[in-house]
Amino acid sequence: MITKDKIDEFIEKIPPAPKALRETLALLNSGELIKASKVAQTDLALAKYLKSLVNKPIYGFSHEVKDISQIFGILGVSGSQQTVYNYMTTLLSPSKWLLFKLNAKTFYELQARLSKRWELILKHLGKEDKNTASSIALLPASIIVAEALFCQRIEDVKLLRSAKNLDYNTILIRLCGMGLFDICEQIAVKWEMPKEIGEIIQASSGLKPSSNEEINLLAKWMHLLLFYELSQPLFVEAGLNDFLDFQVDFIGDIYDDFATLMEIE
Amino acid sequence: MRAVVKNGVGVFTPQGFLDGNSSSAFLSIEDIEATTALDVDMILVSLKRVVFFNKNGLDIFMKLFSKVRQKNHATVGFCDYDEKKYKAINVFYQDKMYFSLYKTIDIAYLFSSSFQKQNKNVLIYSDDKSQRSAMAIELHDNGHNPIIAQTKQEFREKSSNKGAYDAVIDLTYLGQMGQKIATRVTGNAIIYSISSFLDAEISSKFNIQYHNNSLNVGFRLFIFDAYKVISMNVHALNFFSKLASSAAEYNANICFVGMDFEKTTDTFKETLEDAGILFYDQMDDILKNKKLLKELGASSAANTKTKRVINKQTVTELPRFIDATVVTIEMMTNSKAIKQSAEVQTITIKDKADKIASSIGYYGDLDGMVILVFPKAIAKKACELLIGENTNDIELILDTLAELVNIVGGRIKTLLSDQNISVDITLPRTYSNIDSLLEVIQDRKGVQVELSFNDDKFLFFLTR
Repeated sequence: MITKDKIDEFIEKIPPAPKALRETLALLNSGELIKASKVAQTDLALAKYLKSLVNKPIYGFSHEVKDISQIFGILGVSGSQQTVYNYMTTLLSPSKWLLFKLNAKTFYELQARLSKRWELILKHLGKEDKNTASSIALLPASIIVAEALFCQRIEDVKLLRSAKNLDYNTILIRLCGMGLFDICEQIAVKWEMPKEIGEIIQASSGLKPSSNEEINLLAKWMHLLLFYELSQPLFVEAGLNDFLDFQVDFIGDIYDDFATLMEIE
Repeated sequence: MRAVVKNGVGVFTPQGFLDGNSSSAFLSIEDIEATTALDVDMILVSLKRVVFFNKNGLDIFMKLFSKVRQKNHATVGFCDYDEKKYKAINVFYQDKMYFSLYKTIDIAYLFSSSFQKQNKNVLIYSDDKSQRSAMAIELHDNGHNPIIAQTKQEFREKSSNKGAYDAVIDLTYLGQMGQKIATRVTGNAIIYSISSFLDAEISSKFNIQYHNNSLNVGFRLFIFDAYKVISMNVHALNFFSKLASSAAEYNANICFVGMDFEKTTDTFKETLEDAGILFYDQMDDILKNKKLLKELGASSAANTKTKRVINKQTVTELPRFIDATVVTIEMMTNSKAIKQSAEVQTITIKDKADKIASSIGYYGDLDGMVILVFPKAIAKKACELLIGENTNDIELILDTLAELVNIVGGRIKTLLSDQNISVDITLPRTYSNIDSLLEVIQDRKGVQVELSFNDDKFLFFLTR
């Protein structure tokens, strides 16, 4: 159904980060917000994406924010880097979704929700460094990878899943020895993202816990946050609720904290 | 979201958070319709991967439960929960618990009438005495050996004795049970449990497809456990008379055991006897009388109805049957499956040792049965994607082979429907050895195709 060759081909086809993005990230990395915003403005698609994302209700701005330097100023270095990585992830997304009932708008919505709630979580955990903040940007890449690999085999997958409750990650691991999060980690390497982003993403699958306790803790929060969002009607209807197995035991020790933070009653 | 069906039980597995906002998204109108159309004994919602739920979150499933019960009388409820969730559901619904609660899906299977692994020693405990009894009765009816712990202390002591019981049941509640006719298989006899008043509803409660399939695969003795029947009316009488006539075509026997005719007119009994139905007072009168069992046909599963031959239409569609098998094996193994030879013959299996088989029937515009025979090790390889672990557990391998053959059946159904041929598929059946398979198909002719993937050979046989 899906072979290792097909995965390799997919990874091979991932374009390197465009020059303007690399430059923007490098400037953000050295704290040069104004210079970074000027470079970002030269990439029209990035500029459009930034405006569309930060003007979503979840960002809570009362007036429309149009200027890129203003956006970077509001988001700060950490938030700007995260948003640029969010944009990079969208570069992988298909123009037409077939496996999941998504479109650009709903996908951006998922990114925005994850990003804002991740910010809240990191504040709660007192871990506000920019790489940790940016790690959430790669999480939805797992959805894009599942779409890309399985969209041509929708009927096969339906038939298989009518007989056994297998998630896409398990199917991929059993067929190719490689899961969605391994592929996400490879994307992080290809895009020269900081190493810990790949590590957090890998551990957030809930299947390969990290030996680093700090990364593991972040991964638990990320795993639970993902399923908190995938339980929202918009994403349940998109068919995302069961694209991945929710590892309830993995997040058992942080659930109460999470529920308090997200005000779940 | 759709239910995954196994062993006659359809299970939904929502994940994450179930509240009033999200839960309606889990079940669309089409999902509910598809669920009510399923031919299953139970529809359950697994809470294994739900970390939070409230009453509003569960209410959408209540609507589903109500529709399923109205339409096909299946048992409905929740499974796979811990004590905290069990208590929460009890608090939410208190005296309106018309649904059931099974601590695990394996416990639910014990209560499912389609599940054929009987004779399990099952330890039961519930705080509610009537629940303890209800569970014991249900389990007994399904062919298990229930042992009731009368107190929590007794339950703790007994359940701590690991290995003493095949299953231990607590935190389980039987709501309004399904009204389908429970079915169990003892040797080569099929026992149906019927109860209460038998009226026109018997025809909707009785799984006629299962019965016909059982006749087709070679069962010849059908026993109705009628100890709990109070009376029957003329509609039920007609139903059983017709059932007896169709059984006669197969040279099969239908018996009633324990039927009390106090509240049913004697002429009904005479009519049923005229139709060929036999009456016995006790189940043991049949099951412990080997001579009688043999006479009634239970010692042989041979299909003695006129042997049906592979017809032209089946041969025309043969490539689609083979395609369905080949494509499924390719999907499951990521390797190329190759057809090596095909011949019309009686099934020929050269080396019977260490081989297992699975079959699935189809009926509708076309009817017949597909059989796959694998060497045990090759079956394991073919099922690797579904098993996901290295195992030598033969029950698990057989279970998974049934899932594989179910996928083949699903694909056959799709491929045939592309040709405007409408068929339904039966539940898959597995055979742990070749002799039990041969006993069923005997000398029926069919198309035998040798197939292989990665040089591993297996056999496909299509018969009617």
